[in-house]
Amino acid sequence: MRAAALLFTYSLKRVRTLVITTGLLLAALQLVLIFVAGAIQTSGGFEQLSSLLPPFARQLLGPAVVTMMSFSGIVCLGYFELAVMGALIALAVTLATVPTSEVEIGFMDLILARPLARHWIITRTIVLTMLVSAFMLALMVAGTWIGLRMFAPKGVLWPSATLINSLAVNLGMLTLCWGGVAMAIGAASSRRSVAGGAAGLLALATFLLDYIARLWQPAESIAWLSPFRYYNPFDLITGNALPLKNLFILGAIAVAGFAAAYVLFARRDISR
Amino acid sequence: MAPISICGLTKQYGNVRAVNNLNLDVIQGEILGFLGLNGAGKTTTIRILLDLLRPSSGNAFILGHDCQSDGLQARLNIGYLPGEMGIYSDLTGREVLDLLAGLNGRAVKVSRRRDLQERLEFPESDLSRRLREYSTGMKRKLGLIQAFQSDPTLLILDEPTEGLDPLMQESFYKLLVDVKQRGRTVFMSSHVLSEVDRVCDRIALIRKGELVLLSGIEELRKLAARPVRVLFAEDVPIAAGLPPGNEVVETGPRAWNLKVEGPLGPLLRSIATLPVRDIEIAEAKLEDVILKYYRDGAE
Repeated sequence: MRAAALLFTYSLKRVRTLVITTGLLLAALQLVLIFVAGAIQTSGGFEQLSSLLPPFARQLLGPAVVTMMSFSGIVCLGYFELAVMGALIALAVTLATVPTSEVEIGFMDLILARPLARHWIITRTIVLTMLVSAFMLALMVAGTWIGLRMFAPKGVLWPSATLINSLAVNLGMLTLCWGGVAMAIGAASSRRSVAGGAAGLLALATFLLDYIARLWQPAESIAWLSPFRYYNPFDLITGNALPLKNLFILGAIAVAGFAAAYVLFARRDISR
Repeated sequence: MAPISICGLTKQYGNVRAVNNLNLDVIQGEILGFLGLNGAGKTTTIRILLDLLRPSSGNAFILGHDCQSDGLQARLNIGYLPGEMGIYSDLTGREVLDLLAGLNGRAVKVSRRRDLQERLEFPESDLSRRLREYSTGMKRKLGLIQAFQSDPTLLILDEPTEGLDPLMQESFYKLLVDVKQRGRTVFMSSHVLSEVDRVCDRIALIRKGELVLLSGIEELRKLAARPVRVLFAEDVPIAAGLPPGNEVVETGPRAWNLKVEGPLGPLLRSIATLPVRDIEIAEAKLEDVILKYYRDGAE
């Protein structure tokens, strides 16, 4: 246990620069979005923006179009903007494939030549991925509230704390889900580029599947296969409660990925 | 209880048998040289001992503990030096040593680490540098320090002197003598036959995954053909009936160069009537025997 804690500390130390930099960038993005939303609100530009929306975007947003074209909607955008989701998922994949990287460079040989059980390697990685994901989202939420206090025009309606927290929790579960998938792939692989690339491609493919299904009815029948289907921010910003089913499904994928990682890593040969 | 006991160990990759029905016992307190050509199965065997690879069949035990089913206990008292030190280059030497010492679960004495640093000429200032600034030799020295620092009962070393300069090799040999004197056991793979000859008590030679030779160094030396030079007072044609085990390497003016396996008596008797002026007998070379085993495998 002590050795596992030491390994965790060492891993956290190694990724601290990446984590802090990404976290600060994501928090800064929230500030920028709120600043921009405030400027649009002050200039009365939301009505004009709404009329400029192309039909496909209206179809994609559905009933959320009215909320999205508001100060509150732009503030929430920070939780489902493509770059934000991409950064969080990329970070989760990077952390989840730490054991693969250690196998690839040979460091795993030195670690496992000690009296340390293999399951600690995976446990360490799960805890690391969960903690870092939570830290990222905490920084984003902090960025949102700091931004609202600094840049929100007077009298404008703020998004509720429940809405922000729901978006953050759902996004966090989506991030963990991809962490689990990447960990399972990485546990069976000896190349981080292969594991990370496969997880990244899978994320992209399922994101596109979900996106296409929202615009093209025939794709709807298989859209349930995409984890992105279970993160529906537009539902949340129109006032619907966070569906626990979505959280459960994303959590189940993550847990399945972690479990697969335990089994695969325990059984595999450690060779480069 | 044997520090290492290997019973019928086999590791198969598809159609290739990297290790084939290997049986080997390492004796407490000895230095065993584990020899073989590239791809013979040395590293595979070592990796199975450390439970990095899982055997297709057979068992390996370290200090009585099964390396697979009781791996944690088996690895409790091991110092391991891999063939290549795979470490993140952004770590400092000290961070590497501290981390690996911590993972051992046993306290490392500061005095022990300092002693190793001194022996291997590895100053404190170098421990503060990042590994990306290290030369190959420095990384090797760091690898040796991490393997020896917890003073383990069993050392498993994969090509330990690879990348070390001759002076450091000398220091390493002295370190081996020291740990042996303190009753530790060393299991080391090597390509350097002179090194094996010098530091090992026994050798195990593996070829295509199979153990083909297990012998003490002294016994092995007796198997080696000794170079013998017979000098004559006048030109003597090579005798047709040299005793078996005597091979003519070359003949020169008033001299024969021979290789003699076994006792010298038959040769001395066969040349007793010739005008012998002198006989020069060199020490048998262990390398000759080992190379013969290597060559037999190549053929």
